[in-house]
Amino acid sequence: MRWNALKWSPKTTIERGVGAIALVLAALGPLVFNQYWAHQILIETFLFGIAAASLIFLSAYGGMVSLAQTALFGIAGVILGNLATRGGPGGTSKGLHLGWDPTVALVIAIAMTTAIGLMFGAIAARSVGIYFLMITLTYSVITTYFLGQVTLVSGFSGIGGINQYTPGWIGDLIGHPNRLYYISLVAAVFTYVLIRYVVRTPFGITLQGVRDEPVRMSSLGYNVPLHRTLAFGFAAFLASLSGVLYVWWSGQIAPGNVDLPETINLLVIAVIGGLARIEGAWLGAFAFIIIQNYVRGFSFPFLGFGGTLFGGSFNTVIGIIFLLIVLISPGGLMGIWDRAFAARSRFGRAPPSAEAPASTGR
Amino acid sequence: MTGFRLPRLNRRQVPLLVVGAVVVFAFAYVLLIAQKPPATGGGNWRTTTFGSAVDDPGSFLRVFLDSITFAGALFIVASGFALIFGLMRVVNMAHGAFYLLGGYIAYEIQQAMTGQGFAIPTSQVNTWEWLVPLLVAAPCIAVVGLITQQGFLRWNQGQELRQALITIAISVIIADQIIAHFPRATSTVAQKFGGSAVSLSWPGWTDRFVNLHVAGVQYSLARFVMLGLGIAVGLALWLWLYRTKTGIVIRAGVDDQKMTSALGVNIQRTFAIAFALGSALAAFGAVVWASQANIASGQDGQWLLNSLVVVIVGGMGSIFGAAVGAILYAFVLNFSATYLPSVGSDCCTQYSIVVTFALIALVLAFRPQGLFGRPG
Amino acid sequence: MRRSGLRSWHAAALAAVGIAVGVALIGGISTSSAASQAKTVRVAIMTDCKGAFGFGYEPDIGGAEAALARYAHGKATDKKKPSAGMTGITAGGAKIKIVGYGCGNDTVPLAVTETKRLMEQAKADVMIGPLSGDEAVSVANYAKSHPKKTFIIGTAGSQDPTLQIAPKNVFRYHGDGAQWNAGTGEIAYRKLHWRKAAIIMDDYSFGWTSAAGLIADYCAMGGKITKRVFPPLNTTDYAPYIRQLPPPNSVDGYFWVVGGTGTGASLKAYEQTYGKTNPKKFVGNLFFAFLGNFSEVAPRLVGAYVGGFGTSPGLKTKAARAYEGNVARIFPGLNGGNYADGFVYNYYNAAWALVQGLNKSRGAVGAKLQSSLPRTLKPGYQVSGRGVLHLDKNRQAIQDQWPLQIVSQGGKPALTVVGFVPNVTQSFGGLFKKSSRPPGRTQPPCRKLKTPWQGKIRVVKNGVVTKGVIK
Repeated sequence: MRWNALKWSPKTTIERGVGAIALVLAALGPLVFNQYWAHQILIETFLFGIAAASLIFLSAYGGMVSLAQTALFGIAGVILGNLATRGGPGGTSKGLHLGWDPTVALVIAIAMTTAIGLMFGAIAARSVGIYFLMITLTYSVITTYFLGQVTLVSGFSGIGGINQYTPGWIGDLIGHPNRLYYISLVAAVFTYVLIRYVVRTPFGITLQGVRDEPVRMSSLGYNVPLHRTLAFGFAAFLASLSGVLYVWWSGQIAPGNVDLPETINLLVIAVIGGLARIEGAWLGAFAFIIIQNYVRGFSFPFLGFGGTLFGGSFNTVIGIIFLLIVLISPGGLMGIWDRAFAARSRFGRAPPSAEAPASTGR
Repeated sequence: MTGFRLPRLNRRQVPLLVVGAVVVFAFAYVLLIAQKPPATGGGNWRTTTFGSAVDDPGSFLRVFLDSITFAGALFIVASGFALIFGLMRVVNMAHGAFYLLGGYIAYEIQQAMTGQGFAIPTSQVNTWEWLVPLLVAAPCIAVVGLITQQGFLRWNQGQELRQALITIAISVIIADQIIAHFPRATSTVAQKFGGSAVSLSWPGWTDRFVNLHVAGVQYSLARFVMLGLGIAVGLALWLWLYRTKTGIVIRAGVDDQKMTSALGVNIQRTFAIAFALGSALAAFGAVVWASQANIASGQDGQWLLNSLVVVIVGGMGSIFGAAVGAILYAFVLNFSATYLPSVGSDCCTQYSIVVTFALIALVLAFRPQGLFGRPG
Repeated sequence: MRRSGLRSWHAAALAAVGIAVGVALIGGISTSSAASQAKTVRVAIMTDCKGAFGFGYEPDIGGAEAALARYAHGKATDKKKPSAGMTGITAGGAKIKIVGYGCGNDTVPLAVTETKRLMEQAKADVMIGPLSGDEAVSVANYAKSHPKKTFIIGTAGSQDPTLQIAPKNVFRYHGDGAQWNAGTGEIAYRKLHWRKAAIIMDDYSFGWTSAAGLIADYCAMGGKITKRVFPPLNTTDYAPYIRQLPPPNSVDGYFWVVGGTGTGASLKAYEQTYGKTNPKKFVGNLFFAFLGNFSEVAPRLVGAYVGGFGTSPGLKTKAARAYEGNVARIFPGLNGGNYADGFVYNYYNAAWALVQGLNKSRGAVGAKLQSSLPRTLKPGYQVSGRGVLHLDKNRQAIQDQWPLQIVSQGGKPALTVVGFVPNVTQSFGGLFKKSSRPPGRTQPPCRKLKTPWQGKIRVVKNGVVTKGVIK
């Protein structure tokens, strides 16, 4: 009975198979891949995938496309940086330097970011669709300006050296980067499982009802803005995990991590992966990071004109790739997979995936 | 029996009252409570750079004028954004990129006309040499906007998120290409391209001060011209929307797109015109602000944000809302930078961004669609 | 009727993605990158290709490669485009391979990504760079945890990397932002007779560092700073910040440390508030003279004194001419012919130091290279000590500085050197210590003291250091 509850169909079988293989490869990561891949590309994939997953959770299950996830990611990193680092000789030179116990600092960073997320959500909860998108975009840019101008907590240069102050039970991440690899892998798996669990709870199901029919849900007595706010808070929690992992990985956090291009990058990751399916988060993150790394030195043979393409840099190429993906398949890579499988399906049934919100005019 | 009783407050009114009290306090602070810094240095929560409006009416008037004139420039750029959003529900994320492109094209034209490669002193620029760049850049960007709309946005109407993503991609491409190809007319080869900062010049006759005969204030004519242009654009838009046939169609389309289309109006042509005009307004704003300050890569993001804030506060899709939003935003920016307490070097004018955020949060908390927007 | 199955472009898209992923995986799974046969030293040149200093890309790379060509047998692939590459570089018996050019945008996150890409993916042993102050702070933090890699700062002006952070594998052969302004504050006091001044500076680390240099010198002479104003970086409308400045009749002058895209905008805002700028009331930093702003700023301020960049355009010494001739021969027309721009000069010296270090260490990298890197150098624009520049104990250069002035030459604005400040140390004679807070809004305070060069700034006329002292 339990076996059948997992709903094995040809499609999910393939997906789960691929997922299992990927998980095994990831678990063996540092042994299989070379150092740059293990400590750069894959860790970045895991942690940006978590941030993208928070965005996709909101869009797929909440019907809200939020551009504030990057801001929350940055806020978590800045809070951790301010609380955990020490100043003085040999210490970092920017930030509040409270020098608290790193574990306490970690918990407070995650808690405060979730609280800020709830506040953001409460303000924006009664807006829908494109209005919501614009309001969250404003959050993101205001956060950039705040971090850039309030030099007490960050300033333009941000805070550095944060990875020297990791909790004792994690230990030295600089000397043992494999530890961070496994921590971020575990965190990514935890995020995925948590999201899949939450959407099956009464809260999650109500949220999907709110996504589809807010007026009906409201007339049934559900508090629609409250549900949206709580969903936003949950997404803020996930984004904070991503932020904390990022500062442990790079050691630095600055307003440049949360500015408009970075916000757009996270949206690009989510769209490339597929806004309708959580798995798309890590797929999109992986694709984006690969493109960023390997398009760099590339120059189109006849169209380069002294640059990568028409004289521009690799950003032109990324913009064009993004444009093509949005034009061809708004469901991203996962969307291509879904539609391909649907077209081949013997019974002509559409797969049981949430429809990409992009196609519903709201 | 009819004793005095306090009115019962319901839950909704309490936050409104609190906000009202804060706003009244802020007004009182700027107008009356603030104090000049003591000669020996230091100060308290009442110390601001200029003191209150009563202490120093000249400075208050100058900051007031700074705000209203900056609002003029903001309005020109934001009105294009509001127009496109109101009619077509398209968040044109490439609005900033259009702004930047328009500014650089105008710069190239003005340099071609005056031929220097250095920043041109205003005394050497006549009105024609300012108008022609405007008259060339705005139609150029209108064409770019038209191509964008016809090529990428016409066939997926109603899919707002997808259209926003498409315009994001276009903005990334345009911004990168601008860095590669502008500015072209510079004094040395070293400064060519890279999107470095260049500026236009106002015509020479604007380079004077106007004596206002109030509190001894002399104010820059160029900034008044900027305000005048903003008002002119506002009037022209109002006339167009309320007195011409196309304008009536646009307003109908803003109200109810499907019905307008069902009535047989060629809504597609109207969309194209509106998008082209909105983009041209971005270029117009760029010419104005590049004359006032400069144009440089990176400002596309700044001005997209400015347009967003104006439209969020004022209401999406309403030109009047854009004007009100521009005024509110400009006032909050300018007054918080000059009238927040200023004690020593660490307090508090750098928190002006927090005040801006508070403005947005307040508007959103009480009217999510903006002050003059339409719900849903 | 059955739908026609997988659309052909869906298939193509899937296939393309699959191939791309496959290729990338193969690239990733390979456990070693280019195997090193005979010793190869892998060098990365880190600079900016977008953002505020994007135009520094080719000048920086050109400067470094010019030194590699002159001293290490390098051959440029394209004389007009340094970033096209350089081959045949050898030093100390080892081949030098340029494994990548970093492309930052003046912000920290991209600097971190590029540094990791160059040092870990391209496996560089040495980095020459970065360009900007905040990038250098993040690189210094990175360097602390990667002691086997060597970092020679390109042209970054922040104080932290060699004072507060100062890891053993970070070297800087040029002055920091404060050093670049040495002498200029004193000139304002002596020649412009400023006694009360206001200062406006970008509210971030380079603004504070550059301002610190002006303030230190000026206050050391006894001048007073009556107001400090801090517009945030990337302000749109400078009007409210100009309003915070005292009006021109209540101060003798303004120190103007607003840079990047704000220099021209802030000066225009000033003109609209108080009328034409009087060059005798404005002293700027290198943003007035270099870095893409000259054409905007210079016409307004002919006659104004300007802080330098550690370079002396038009200096008539053998060393200066040799340096300029070297660059002109290898990359004619680099940076529009302005070889005296710090972008070219500082990267040149960094690469030259690297070559000398490799010669001494016989091609070894890591700790051996770090102990072999020269503690002295003879760069083009150093005149004191018979033209020898020394590094201090934090591997930071003690460099001659050259205050400048904007003049009119043939009807067009131009730059000329007016002063020579010998052997400027990073500490300004003890004012900046490792334990002191880094430059900030209130740091340094305005204090009267004696800088080592007080009263010793020599007059420079027509590219020649005269015996006269600026009084």
